Amino acid sequence: MGRDGARGEWRTAGEPGASVDQRSGIGPGAVIARDSGRPESAVGRGAGPASGGGDPRGGSLATLPASAEFAEVRPRSAGPTHGALSVDEVDAWAVLVAVDGIGPVTLAALLAALGSGRAVLETAAGPRGPRRLAEAVAGRGGHLDAALGRAIADAAIAAPVLVARVRALGIEVLTIESSDYPGRLRLLDLPPPVLFVRGDLAALDPARSVAIVGTRRATEGGRRIAGAIGGAVSTAGAVVVSGLAVGIDGAAHAAAVACGGRTVAVLGSGHERLYPRAHGHLADQIVAGGGAVISELAPDVGPVPGTFPRRNRVVSGLADATVIVEAGERSGALITASWALEQGRECFVVPGPLDSEQSVGCNRLLRLYPGQARAVPSVAELLEDLGLAGGAARTSPDRRLLRGGRAVGPDPGAVLAGLGAAEAAVARAILPRAATLEELMDATGFAPATILAVLTRLEGHGLVVAALGRYAPAGTLAATTPHPRRLGPRGAAATPPAGR
Amino acid sequence: MLATVLAATLRGLEGRPVRVEVDVAPGLPGFTIVGLADAALRESRERVRGALRNAGFVHPPRRITVNLAPADVPKAGSALDLGIAIAILVGSEQVRPCGRWAMLGELGLGGEVRPVPGLLPMIAALARRGAGRVVVPADALDEARLVPGIEALPAASLGQAVELVRGRRVRGHGPMTRAELIPDETARTIPTPSDDEAWPDLADVRGQAEARRALEIALAGGHALLMIGAPGSGKTLLARTIPGLLPPLDPAEAHEATVIASVAGEGPVRSLVTKRPFRAPHHTASYAALVGGGPRLSPGEVTRAHHGVLFLDELPEFDRAAREALRQPLEEGRIAIARAGGSVVMPARFQLVAAMNPCPCGWGGDPSGRCTCPPGLPDRYAARISGPFRDRLDLWVGLPRVAPAALLARGDAEASAAVAARVAEVRARQVVGRGRLAGRLAGRALRAACQLDVAGEREAIRLAEAGGLTARATERLLRVARTIADLDSAERVEVRHLEEAARYRVPATAAAPSRAG
Repeated sequence: MGRDGARGEWRTAGEPGASVDQRSGIGPGAVIARDSGRPESAVGRGAGPASGGGDPRGGSLATLPASAEFAEVRPRSAGPTHGALSVDEVDAWAVLVAVDGIGPVTLAALLAALGSGRAVLETAAGPRGPRRLAEAVAGRGGHLDAALGRAIADAAIAAPVLVARVRALGIEVLTIESSDYPGRLRLLDLPPPVLFVRGDLAALDPARSVAIVGTRRATEGGRRIAGAIGGAVSTAGAVVVSGLAVGIDGAAHAAAVACGGRTVAVLGSGHERLYPRAHGHLADQIVAGGGAVISELAPDVGPVPGTFPRRNRVVSGLADATVIVEAGERSGALITASWALEQGRECFVVPGPLDSEQSVGCNRLLRLYPGQARAVPSVAELLEDLGLAGGAARTSPDRRLLRGGRAVGPDPGAVLAGLGAAEAAVARAILPRAATLEELMDATGFAPATILAVLTRLEGHGLVVAALGRYAPAGTLAATTPHPRRLGPRGAAATPPAGR
Repeated sequence: MLATVLAATLRGLEGRPVRVEVDVAPGLPGFTIVGLADAALRESRERVRGALRNAGFVHPPRRITVNLAPADVPKAGSALDLGIAIAILVGSEQVRPCGRWAMLGELGLGGEVRPVPGLLPMIAALARRGAGRVVVPADALDEARLVPGIEALPAASLGQAVELVRGRRVRGHGPMTRAELIPDETARTIPTPSDDEAWPDLADVRGQAEARRALEIALAGGHALLMIGAPGSGKTLLARTIPGLLPPLDPAEAHEATVIASVAGEGPVRSLVTKRPFRAPHHTASYAALVGGGPRLSPGEVTRAHHGVLFLDELPEFDRAAREALRQPLEEGRIAIARAGGSVVMPARFQLVAAMNPCPCGWGGDPSGRCTCPPGLPDRYAARISGPFRDRLDLWVGLPRVAPAALLARGDAEASAAVAARVAEVRARQVVGRGRLAGRLAGRALRAACQLDVAGEREAIRLAEAGGLTARATERLLRVARTIADLDSAERVEVRHLEEAARYRVPATAAAPSRAG
């Protein structure tokens, strides 16, 4: 049911038993449970391509189409089709989606019943608000839970507080009605009607975008590869999309930022409750670098388990292709992968050793979705498959088999050339893999005090990150190719990172 | 009749003279002790009764009243036993004393005189009161002779004490001479392991160049050090080399340390304590054991580590209240213990060395990704160390797992003796030049000591801003840089010293197992 899926309609009128689905999101269970194919789920039925439609159903109140047709069914309130919403109306939408229990479907039902978000809020805040809301929805054949009605009434009264808070945080509210709404998301079944965005809206709808996701419990090698792919993709001009989690996600974002590229972080919580908090600085860097940090949740929503699978759907939905770097048996990255396949996007998987806990999920993806999930033999070949290789001539298959992975990220030599002699020597020593002080002493012959001072300088340049007495490349240094072969005599002497 | 003997009791680390007044009066036989006596002292009745009988004296069947003056000072312990017994003998006219007497000692039921903890400060208090001669337990003669200006008379039994009081067999011992005080001149330089206590040599420690360097800086400048590393990475081994790296105590410090050793009551003190204390309490240690207190207001580990090193292995596992209570001594060099009966202040100028695992499973931060802790747990584990406590830790160092190749590599690492020599030299230079170790410099004195030039100042500001350092953390950076410069024999703190010092700051997330990049 991707772009070419059969067009479906969700009739709410005259179809007994079809009550409005009040689930705020799409449960991950329905997706994970599928081991092959993409059977239809209850929530997937109403999907249809935005472009293909063209069925002018503007005034037909009998139908409540989901997803992309949203825009086309709301002529009653917003005037002509595709008309931009007023600021007040946008705020009203933000207030409504902030209510726990309102998802795309319920929102659509409310808007269809009362005409506009403001009307919903005004009705809810008025006398016998919840009951009148329920009656209005029932009039269209839907059903509004009494508790949800009361929650909307409460939200309507507290609306100015939420709006002021959103303004204070510098967050833009982007509705599906807006022309800035990312086109890739419109193609989803039930796209999030509202996005809370910090940063540049243009980053959400770039020419090319690639999601790079993986486990939070990444190995050092995994983080390296995520950094290399992030750096290469970013250098090639595509936007890197990920989930701002620790591990693979963070490495991909950081590499993109280091290479001066744009990157989009999709939060699994509200902006005020950014999770993990340790990545608050990274989030600021992403915004400063021309990227964006977005969430479909209201700013005050905390990180609870259910919000993350829902976030993953937006991650894959924003990207043309999703690359899974490392995923354990139950990693959330697998959910992102199945969303990508479900959404008809490309899915790439970095294979790993059979005995690596962090690669079990990756390898299983390759087995379960032959022909859909594609293996990544090298960063260069990934770029080629993504169409980002910049016109590299295709070689014949047998030649391609013999070819080594060519570095496509920034050249380590170029990065090293910009450093002083001592800095370059230490940086070269950590390039093949993270090193301890002894290892750096052996490699460079410098005194410990000298190396430690040099490491501080490299850290200041964002080229080195320290963890528990081990120094690993960061920034553009990490975004260079993980293959040590081209790094000169010292790199050649070193073994590749363990576990790879 | 009334008899009076001078004795003393202990309050914290201070001795207080106590006048033991005994009235033996006609009436119904009885034995009453008045004057704020604690439980051990009330039991003194039974010990005195037994000792008198078994030493061949008579416990007078009359009304005995013991008054301990001054009446408002709480008295504790068994050091008054001997004084009470002698006063009863005098009061019941079994003994005719010659002159006035001061005496200390616990009695056994057979009449033996036994040493008590804290003899040293108690005798010192008696000396200040003007007592020229003090009867002391024979086993504690050496300890008594550490006090200048007093003649110590050893008594092994109640009988011997009576002989002394009668004015016979008086052969006093004067205070120790300087040569006696410091028996071995070699002990003034670098400590060597002895049979009864041994410590590993730094040459036995494999790898961990960064932690060795941090340890050397910490000991040279008296900085608090935290080592974070997986189990088996060598944290404890490194810490156990500390006794072999520290210079001996100077005379004033030695005097304080000896008083503490006496009060701590780990057997009688034989000579002046010149070795720097190294205390390593287990993480199950109670609040009172760590900080001090208890019914007798005994010194805790923080006080026993005065002028030395307090090593806390598995820092997050220590009782939170006890850990937080370390903040005052870390800041002020003393600990105030307030109790219902009043408060005492004990010295506690120790250097803290602590160690912890990066996460509960111990594999956090390992490149293999074998950590089985759920994401976020390592951060919470590190968060057990409160912010204010972190602020007092000058050096943070991570210890990676040692590669097998490094474990089996040939060639020894630098031995303790060489490091100890550098540590002693820097400490001496810091104390002579600036009056105190760099670890205790702050504010204007610290800035003056650093003598930053323009480039250094700019670098310090840059490092502080890049790391988001608080004012306190910036001072920490400067202090450590000062010691690094001293190790480098540099007059000023230069940019390279600051850069190295920046390596030992708090990691962004203290465990930092999975940072981006």
